[in-house]
Amino acid sequence: MKSPFLKSGRIAIASSKKINLIEGLKETVLKVIQQTSSLKSCKYADIRLGTNTIKYANAENGKAKGMGEDCLISFGTRVIAGEMGAWGYYGQPIGENESSPRSISKILTSGINRAYTRALANANKKAEFKPFAPSLTAVNLAKIDSYNDTIDAIFDEDPRSVPLKDVLTLCTKASRDMRGVSKDVQYTHIDIHTGINRELFCSTEGACIDQSYALTQGLVAVVAQKAGGIPEVCYDYMGGLRGWEVLKGKNIYKQPIVDFALLRTRETIELAGAEFLSATSEPVVVVTNPHFNALLVHEIVGHPTEADRALKLETAYAGRSWLFRNFNDNELGKQIASPLLTAYSDPSIDGYGHYRYDAEGTPGRRVNLIENGVLKGFMNGREYAAILSHPPNGSMRATEPHYVPIVRMTNTVFANGDRDPAEILGEVREGYYIVNHRIPSISESRENFRISAQKVYKIENGHIVKLYRGGGITADSKDFLMNIDAVGNDFQIFPIPNCGKGQPMQVMRVGNGGPTLRSTARLTGRQKL
Amino acid sequence: MIDIETLRACVRNGIEFVKKQKDVIDAEIFASWNEHITVRLNYTSDIPCNGVHEPKSTQFSGIGLLAIFKAGKEIKVGFGSSSNNITPKGIAEAFQKARKNKLHDPDFKSLPMPIGKPVLENYHDHAVMEIGDETMIDLGWRALEGALTEFRQKNFNNSIIVGGDITILKERMAICSTKGIDDFDESTILTANITSMIEKEKVKGSGWNTNTHLSNFNPEESGRESAESAIKTIDGERIPSGTYNVIFGRQPVTDLFTNIVIPALSLSSINSSDTPFLGKLGQKIASELLTVYDDGTINGAVGSKRISCEGVPTGRTNLIHNGFLVGFLANYYLSKKFENSISSFIPRNGFRFEKGGRNHNIQPKICPTNIVVEGKEEVTSQSLLSKINNGIYIGRIWYTYPINGLAAGDFTSTIIADSYVIKEGKIVKPLKPNTVRINNNITDILNNIIAVSKDKKQTIVWGGEEVVMAPEIAIHSVRLDNISGFIA
Repeated sequence: MKSPFLKSGRIAIASSKKINLIEGLKETVLKVIQQTSSLKSCKYADIRLGTNTIKYANAENGKAKGMGEDCLISFGTRVIAGEMGAWGYYGQPIGENESSPRSISKILTSGINRAYTRALANANKKAEFKPFAPSLTAVNLAKIDSYNDTIDAIFDEDPRSVPLKDVLTLCTKASRDMRGVSKDVQYTHIDIHTGINRELFCSTEGACIDQSYALTQGLVAVVAQKAGGIPEVCYDYMGGLRGWEVLKGKNIYKQPIVDFALLRTRETIELAGAEFLSATSEPVVVVTNPHFNALLVHEIVGHPTEADRALKLETAYAGRSWLFRNFNDNELGKQIASPLLTAYSDPSIDGYGHYRYDAEGTPGRRVNLIENGVLKGFMNGREYAAILSHPPNGSMRATEPHYVPIVRMTNTVFANGDRDPAEILGEVREGYYIVNHRIPSISESRENFRISAQKVYKIENGHIVKLYRGGGITADSKDFLMNIDAVGNDFQIFPIPNCGKGQPMQVMRVGNGGPTLRSTARLTGRQKL
Repeated sequence: MIDIETLRACVRNGIEFVKKQKDVIDAEIFASWNEHITVRLNYTSDIPCNGVHEPKSTQFSGIGLLAIFKAGKEIKVGFGSSSNNITPKGIAEAFQKARKNKLHDPDFKSLPMPIGKPVLENYHDHAVMEIGDETMIDLGWRALEGALTEFRQKNFNNSIIVGGDITILKERMAICSTKGIDDFDESTILTANITSMIEKEKVKGSGWNTNTHLSNFNPEESGRESAESAIKTIDGERIPSGTYNVIFGRQPVTDLFTNIVIPALSLSSINSSDTPFLGKLGQKIASELLTVYDDGTINGAVGSKRISCEGVPTGRTNLIHNGFLVGFLANYYLSKKFENSISSFIPRNGFRFEKGGRNHNIQPKICPTNIVVEGKEEVTSQSLLSKINNGIYIGRIWYTYPINGLAAGDFTSTIIADSYVIKEGKIVKPLKPNTVRINNNITDILNNIIAVSKDKKQTIVWGGEEVVMAPEIAIHSVRLDNISGFIA
C-alpha cells in the first residue's frame, strides 16, 4: 500500500509562494466581507488575513540550540451587530493545507458567522442591561476614508534568500566570540530572526489594504560574574523593519551584530566588577542618554497617552492614565512638562513602530502628544476617537491577525532638541549620567516610575569619574518632566520588541527614543538590607 | 474542535511513520488542540461604554515533532511543526521541517523516558468543552451584574469603573514517542478576574474566582467582591516613607512568586546563571517557616495537569522546605544537562504553554503548575494582624519586576488597591492606592517571614502562567516609599 506520508513529502509550499498567497486571496476575502450585507442588523465587519514568513536560529555559549523556518497564516474578524450595536470577534491560525481560496472562503465565512453570533448575543444583553447601566452605548466608529492600497516590504537583502544555516552560523559565532572575551563570562545567548509579514485588511466600508513589512531582529544576552560576586546580566536588541542587512550594520548602532554583542559583553564584564550604586533620599541632577530615554518615553509618555487607557479600558490590567481622569478633569491643554520638551508618536518615520495603515485601515499619522510641555492628544482607534471627539489617528494594532487590535505606540519619542549632549553633561557640577535602559516598574496611572540603567556614572565638575552597577532613577513622572532643563540634539530611535498589553497579552514591537535629557530624580540602587 | 481520539491516532500513526525513516534514531510527536476564550469587560458609568467589551476567542491545533537523526559519528536534533493539520500530511510536513532544521546540540542527551503513572483522570468539564457563545457572553454580564449590584446597594452610581475578564481555556493534547511514551491530557479552566473602582474616591478593589467546572464557577461573586473591596478602601491615607512590618495578601504573594521567586527556582535560570539561588542548593535561603512546592496533581486546582507536554506525569516538586532550597523546576532537556553537575531533578514541568494553550509550535520550556506556599506553623488571618501589631496590609501590587536583574534579587512594585493600615493588631484605615512603592530584595523578604496564614486561595496575576495556592504572609522590615505627591 502506498504510504500517504511519502506523497505528502511534496506538499511543502515555498515561503515566497506563501507570501504571494495573499495576492490570490484578495478576491475571496472581499467576497466574504460583502456577504455580511445579508446578515440582519450587521452594521460593520472587517477581516485581517496575514502571513508571517520567518527564519530563526539561536545559540548559547557557542553551541547551536535551534533553527527553523516557517510561514504562519492566521485571520481575525470583527463584527458590530444588533440594534444596540455591540462587538463580536473571532480569530484563528490557518494551516497550510487550508490555504486554497475555497478552504479560506469557508474558514472566513465560519469565522464571520461566529463573530456575528457573538455580537448579536452581546447586543441583546447590552440592551437588557441598559436601564440598569445607562452609560452602555451602541458602538460608534469615527468616520474614515476607505483605502485600496498595496505597500511593499523594503529590504536590501531579502530575508527569504538568506540560507537558514547562515542564520544559525551567525548565532553560534557571536555567542562563541562573546564567551571567549573573558573567563568571567558565564553565559551568552544569541537569538536571531528575519522574515516578512504581510497582512490584508478588508472591511464592509470598502477598504482593501495589503501591507508587507520585513523584520529582522537580534537578541543579545550575556551574564558575567567576578569570583564570588553577583552575576551581572545584560539583555539588548538590535533590529529594524528591513532585511538581513540590519544585522550587517544597517541599524541604530551602525555595527554588525557580532560587534554589538561583543560591546555588550565587555560592558557587562566591566560592570560585574563595579561598585553597586547607593540610593539617594533626595533628587539629584541626572543626565539620561537616548537609549535610556527610549524606555522612559515609552513608560511615562507613550503608555499614558494611549486613548484606551485614558478611557479606563486597561484598568484591570496595565492601568489608567493620570493625564485623563474624566471629560471635565484632565490634563489636555495643560503644562505637564518643561517648555523645552516635545513628544510625539509617528508611524511614518523609520523605526520599529513604522506602518502606513493601522489594523482598522486608518492611515497612521503623527500624533503630537506633548508640545512645548503642553499635553495635546492621545493615540487612538476609531471607537475611542469617536468617544473623545478627536480625529482618528491610526494607532490600532494586533501582534497577529487572530488577535483583537488595541491602541499601541508607534514610533513614540521625545523630539530632538538643540543642545550638544557633551555640553549638557559638561555643565553638571555634581550629578549622574544614566546610560542605557534596563528594566522598568511604573505605577498604575504612570504617575511614578522606577527604571534601572545598564550603567550609571558619577559626574563631577562636568566629567565622568566613576562607573556604578545596579543603579537607576525614580521620580514622579510630572516632576521629572517639568524639571527637564536641557534637551540634546542627538535624537535616536531604538527597537523595543516586547511591549506587553491586552488580555490575552499581546507583545508588540514599537519604536522609542529621543535625545539626551537633563532633569532631576532620586537614584535607586542595591536593595539588600 | 478536535477530539482526543483523533490526536492520539495522529501521534501513534506518526511514530510508526517516523520509525520507518532510515536516518531517524528516536522521535517524539506532540499534537494538541486548544481554544482560548476571553470575555473582556469595560463598564464606565461616566463614559460611553460596552459593558462586555470583547467577546472573543482563538483556537489552534497542530503537530510538533522532535526527531533525532544519525549524522556520521554525531547525532542531530531537529524540530518541526504543522498547524491546523492533524493528519498524516501534517505529520509529513512536520517531519520534513524537523529534518531540514536538524543540528548538533552537544547538551542534548535523550528524549524523555516514561516515568511513573499519572494521578489525575478525567478531570475536565464536558460542559466547558461544549460551552456556547451565548453562555460565555452571559458569564461576562453576570460578573458585571455582581459588581454593579453591590455598588447600587451601597448607593454608588457615579464614577464607577468595572473591568477585567472571564477567561476560558480548553486544552487537549496527545504525545507518543519511540521511548515508549504514549499518553494524553484534557483540561478545562475558568477564571474571573474583576477590578472595580470608584474613581472620584480614588479606590480600587479586586475580586477573582477560578474553577475547572462551569457549574461551580461564580463570576457574580468576583464582581461583587471587587466592588465591596473598592468601597471598603474609601478615605485611605498616605503613609510616610520608611521600613514597615507588612502582611502581603494573596494577590501580592502571587505577584511576588510569579514574577520573582518561581523564575528564580527554574533550571532555566540556573542555565543562564541568572538567579539569586545559584550554587545554593541544600542551603538555607528563606525563613524556616516557609515551604514551597509545585504540584500539578491537586484535584480542582486550575493549574493541574495529568501529564506534562513531554508526557511525564505531573507530581509534587519540592522547591523550598522549611527555608532550605531543595529543588528546581525542570524539563527533561535541562534535567539531563545538569544531572551530573548539580543534581538529579525530576522533569515534571516541561510544558509548551504559549498563546493560551499547549502550543505545538514550540518545544517544552519550564512552566509551573500549581505553586503551593505553606507555613511551618500556619496561623489565622487575625493572628497575622496580631503578629504584625503595627504595619500595613498590602492587598494588591502591580508591575513587580527584578529591577536590577533576577540574579541581584532587587525588586520594586507599587501598591494599587485593597490595602490597609494596621495599628495594635487591627485594621484601622485604608491605605490610599497608588501612593506607595515597595523597594526590596527578594532574599530579605523570604528571610524576614513572621508567619503564614492557613487560608489559601487559587490566585493568578495578569500575564502569569502559574496558579499560586496563596496564603497571606507577614514579613518584617519591608521598605515602603511614599510616591506621587503631585496627585492629591
